[in-house]
Amino acid sequence: MTGASSLAAPVVAQVTAIEASLLAFVVLTALATALARDVLAAVIVFGAYSLGMAALYTFYRAPDVALTEAAISAGVTTVLLLLTLAKTTRIDHDAVFESVNLPAVGAVGVLFGGLLLTMGDIPAVGSPEAPVWSNPDVSQWYLSESYAQTGVENTVMAVLAAFRGFDTFGEAVVVLAGGIAALIVLHREVFA
Amino acid sequence: MSDARPDDEGGGGDSDAPGVEAAESAAEAESDVPAHRARSRSGRIDSEQRQGTPYTESQVIMPTVKIVAPFAFTYGLFITFHGSGSPGGGFQGGAIMAAVVFMIAFAFGIEATRDWLANTVVVGLAVGGALAFAGIGLIPVARGGAFLQYDLLPVPVKYGLESVEIFGIAAIVSGVLMGLFFLLARGFDSDGSGFGDTGSVDDAGDDAASDLDAPETSDRTAAADGGER
Amino acid sequence: MTLVDAGVAAGYTVADFLLLAAAGFTLLAIGMLYRAVRGPTMQDRVLAVNVLGTNTVVILAILAAALSEPTFLDIALVYALLNFLMAIAISKFTVERGGVL
Repeated sequence: MTGASSLAAPVVAQVTAIEASLLAFVVLTALATALARDVLAAVIVFGAYSLGMAALYTFYRAPDVALTEAAISAGVTTVLLLLTLAKTTRIDHDAVFESVNLPAVGAVGVLFGGLLLTMGDIPAVGSPEAPVWSNPDVSQWYLSESYAQTGVENTVMAVLAAFRGFDTFGEAVVVLAGGIAALIVLHREVFA
Repeated sequence: MSDARPDDEGGGGDSDAPGVEAAESAAEAESDVPAHRARSRSGRIDSEQRQGTPYTESQVIMPTVKIVAPFAFTYGLFITFHGSGSPGGGFQGGAIMAAVVFMIAFAFGIEATRDWLANTVVVGLAVGGALAFAGIGLIPVARGGAFLQYDLLPVPVKYGLESVEIFGIAAIVSGVLMGLFFLLARGFDSDGSGFGDTGSVDDAGDDAASDLDAPETSDRTAAADGGER
Repeated sequence: MTLVDAGVAAGYTVADFLLLAAAGFTLLAIGMLYRAVRGPTMQDRVLAVNVLGTNTVVILAILAAALSEPTFLDIALVYALLNFLMAIAISKFTVERGGVL
């Protein structure tokens, strides 16, 4: 991946079988979600998409993200989307897939190609030279100091609740504000 | 499950239910109302007439949820409390605990769960969580430190972090997710008065604030309904 | 069995075999995806997503073993518990399109 001359070959060499199959699964489910004609089918396939993403996060050793994906997507998102669908009318379709708008596909393809050109400059997944890993002031400092300073073994939680505690407080308040905004949008004064 | 429901209607001791069903299906056949919408209205009226008794929906789902829900809830607590030593934390655990409430609502009926889990509980969790987070953060400020400076708390730093996760984040997330669930289940101005039904039947079980709100709501619904069709 | 022995002798570890097995399960999931997308009726899709969820639990458990991270089993457990919720939500929704919710 470091050599800009051979763009594709090192990538293929690094991708293992499990990565390739998981990525194929995720891409296929994402495409099917976007293209499904029936909304309920799209919701169901979106659930499958989150399954693949959770496995991918797990493989990349991000268990906290995988756990969030599992809890939120399997437990919450599908249910909330279904409840929303229950309030809508159903339109019966014969076709399984949405008809594709070719100019839109072209525009997305051009954007995708442009983004793909930048891939050569992005460090490989798990590379020790990646700035996000090798940065001595941020990542390495957290990894070496978080247990000593907080006594918490899970560095992610130490960063979230202690070192970035004020950000987390803001996020928590945003969640609460989201609930209040839903109340306002739906013209309710009580949740339950 | 689609077979089980008419049997329940017939055998449930609800004498007029089969008649209602027949009339509904006859109306369904000739009117241009979409089938699912007509059926949903009939289901809503039935559950209202039974005054909150959990409508026996499925012989499979209810016992299974009775078995699974305690374990899932315990696991949500585990994820919340053990966020410091294993993957997880307040957000994930709160989401799992909210998902348990969704599970119970699907098994025993959303209206019954709404009555069981009062609005004060949901709001108390969400707002109380935010206040607890702010309070834990402000204790060090009162002692002359910075916001969330854990070493000024009267407990070890680790327990300070965990108390933020447990009393703050988990409570906020579970409360807000439960609230969103009940909000979306009720929908936009369709609390029994939606889709042209009679107004305030559904509000009878709610608390005073909702009762005061009821006439206005039905007016607004009528307007919205007229606009929709 | 002899194949495994040969593989171990050739320098592959058990973790490699486990990862390969996980990849195989993912291929099965891709096959099941056809039923979830195409599935003529909603019941097909409900069953397909249920099978996909169970498949993912297996994949996650194999990954936890292959990466020798026992705590990753937490994710598999969460999926096992919440996949049930997804299945009953979709299947109850399928009846009368949410009319019985």
